[in-house]
Amino acid sequence: MEFRLAETQEEFEGQVIRTFPNGEIIVEINGKEQQVRLVKLATDEIEFLFENSFHRAKVVRSNSSETVMLLDGHTFTMKKHFKFEKFLYKTLSSATSAAENNNLTSQIPGRVVNILVNPGNGVKAGDSVIILESMKMQVSIKAHKDGIVRDIKVRKGTTVARNDVVAIIG
Amino acid sequence: MARTISSIMIANRGEIALRIIRACNELGIKSIAVYSDEDTRSLHVKRANEAYYIGPSSAAESYLNTRKIIETATMAGADAIHPGYGFLSENEDFADTCEKTGINFIGPSSKVMALTGDKMKCKALMKKARIPVIPGSDGNIEDVEEAEKNASEFGYPVLLKSAFGGGGRGIRLAKDSNQLREEFEIAAAESRAAFGKAALYVEKYLEGTRHIEFQLIRDSSGNTRHLFERECSIQRRHQKLIELSPSPVVTANVRERIGEIAVRAAETVGYENAGTAEFLRDKDGNFYFIEINSRLQVEHPVTEVVTGLDLVKLQISMAQDYEIPFQQRDLKMHGCAIECRVNAEDPFYDFAPSVGEVGQCTLPYGPGIRVDSYLYPGCSISGYYDSLIAKLISWGQTPNEARLRMKNALREFSVDGINTTIPLYETVMNHDGFIKGELSTDYIDRFHILDIMRADYREMCKRKASSATVATLLQSEFIKRTGGGGLQSSSKKDRRPSTWKNLGWISGGV
Repeated sequence: MEFRLAETQEEFEGQVIRTFPNGEIIVEINGKEQQVRLVKLATDEIEFLFENSFHRAKVVRSNSSETVMLLDGHTFTMKKHFKFEKFLYKTLSSATSAAENNNLTSQIPGRVVNILVNPGNGVKAGDSVIILESMKMQVSIKAHKDGIVRDIKVRKGTTVARNDVVAIIG
Repeated sequence: MARTISSIMIANRGEIALRIIRACNELGIKSIAVYSDEDTRSLHVKRANEAYYIGPSSAAESYLNTRKIIETATMAGADAIHPGYGFLSENEDFADTCEKTGINFIGPSSKVMALTGDKMKCKALMKKARIPVIPGSDGNIEDVEEAEKNASEFGYPVLLKSAFGGGGRGIRLAKDSNQLREEFEIAAAESRAAFGKAALYVEKYLEGTRHIEFQLIRDSSGNTRHLFERECSIQRRHQKLIELSPSPVVTANVRERIGEIAVRAAETVGYENAGTAEFLRDKDGNFYFIEINSRLQVEHPVTEVVTGLDLVKLQISMAQDYEIPFQQRDLKMHGCAIECRVNAEDPFYDFAPSVGEVGQCTLPYGPGIRVDSYLYPGCSISGYYDSLIAKLISWGQTPNEARLRMKNALREFSVDGINTTIPLYETVMNHDGFIKGELSTDYIDRFHILDIMRADYREMCKRKASSATVATLLQSEFIKRTGGGGLQSSSKKDRRPSTWKNLGWISGGV
């Protein structure tokens, strides 16, 4: 299998070569055979010894194209089959990106305490559009590009989740 | 004459509620907790002797609801209320209501609080008592024009502050008049939201300053002591992140001199109970008084650790009109302490709040380590309240020992399910500027600490990349062999850890 670690953009080729009943596993990473000792394997949690040190991976989410995990407490995003994906992305991105590009999303969860623009207003990238309150902090959601505010998707008092679309700027 | 306390209602939540419960337990005082909908499963509810429901999750309807809290305290027969920090802790109307209801408010009287809470009035009094203060506007500013006029008089950059603020809320920096106009609106809104009033004032921003504060205690007989300094220069957006005691730049002579000024400040306002005199120290070593905080500070543990005193027990004792049982000369500083405020915020993403359920979590232990936290596996971090989830305090004989212990503790500290500011602190503990004590309130920006943190993170990722590959391989194999049922469907139900054997992988090679 081919992997790419999103955090460093490093690429890896790896496979499981052999497994033994006592929990020992031989893996091959970038052509080199290495030993792993499996301690625990559950749907969302893996514990193992590798290169003589203990590791714990907590799987945050996983699908056929990527696995996001907390490895020893740190977030790692592992892209799988990335070459194929790169190809797909190239062909699909032009069709979907134009519409998605207009979406201004909130990067944090919070409650809308103020809306600083009206539909029809012109904004510049970086202008504050909406003020959210979360954990006693007031955080402004800033325009991601220059344009005209086409729509506001929230109202004062609305609670928004991370990645919710709050406005359309076209 | 002593006002005996046999039960205390804690009008707060989180780690500070737990801290006060511990003090109550030691003193044999009944602890009474209050909680909102969101906090039903919170640790303070479980740890207190009694717990009372006070309303919906929104702080305004629960922890800030004076009427409901007083009603509950009366019903529960509480002799006293400890307000903790934040919420109602510096609300003079609340203290006043307590006084009128015959409940012992653990803190200064409403009269004193009104004085220390009105920063302009307080500053004017200090000026009169010949305590050095920072140049700024005389009184509150009503509109942007007035703010601009003031700012141009003593020059940019200026700070825009809420006269009722505290803990860094409502404080904004403006480098020019355009920025001042923009920030004025937001600061006014924040001030109104938090305190119901939009009173702001403008102050000259001193560059390269350090934030150094003195812990004060003053009993009802007028005995005043200072418990030395804490340096809280490491801040982000005027919120303290790391606190130290002692400060690397405070010598014994300076400690004595500024300590005396702090005591004089407490006497000037007729202070009662525990409080803090905050100062800014400029590059040339001049100290300027900023304000007296009339509450127990978040960072009080560093003082406790270096003095060996228990500030909460002292507060309770002073509230019962007992005299402070020691003289200034009896106090000694022992070793060094560091506190890191672990916040549920993502330091890699502009410190965005991180809320949700905590999975597994491991708190650090070891020599010289103290953790004040309400975390437990399965607890939830709410977006309704502030983001402080733990205070990590280390003690060492020397600054370096305290730092190395903190480094260890940060490495041991793990919380699944939410982002925390731990990576930032790991970077700081390794940073040369921190090691040399080259601190200032712009420390994070000046040394580009966030960039260093990102670089540290990339390095760590590189080191662990092959382990991550192994983990992904194992996980893929697991999915393949268990029929690819996916993670979402089974992860909640199937908590039972599977082993290699009971997965049926025994058949040997692939």
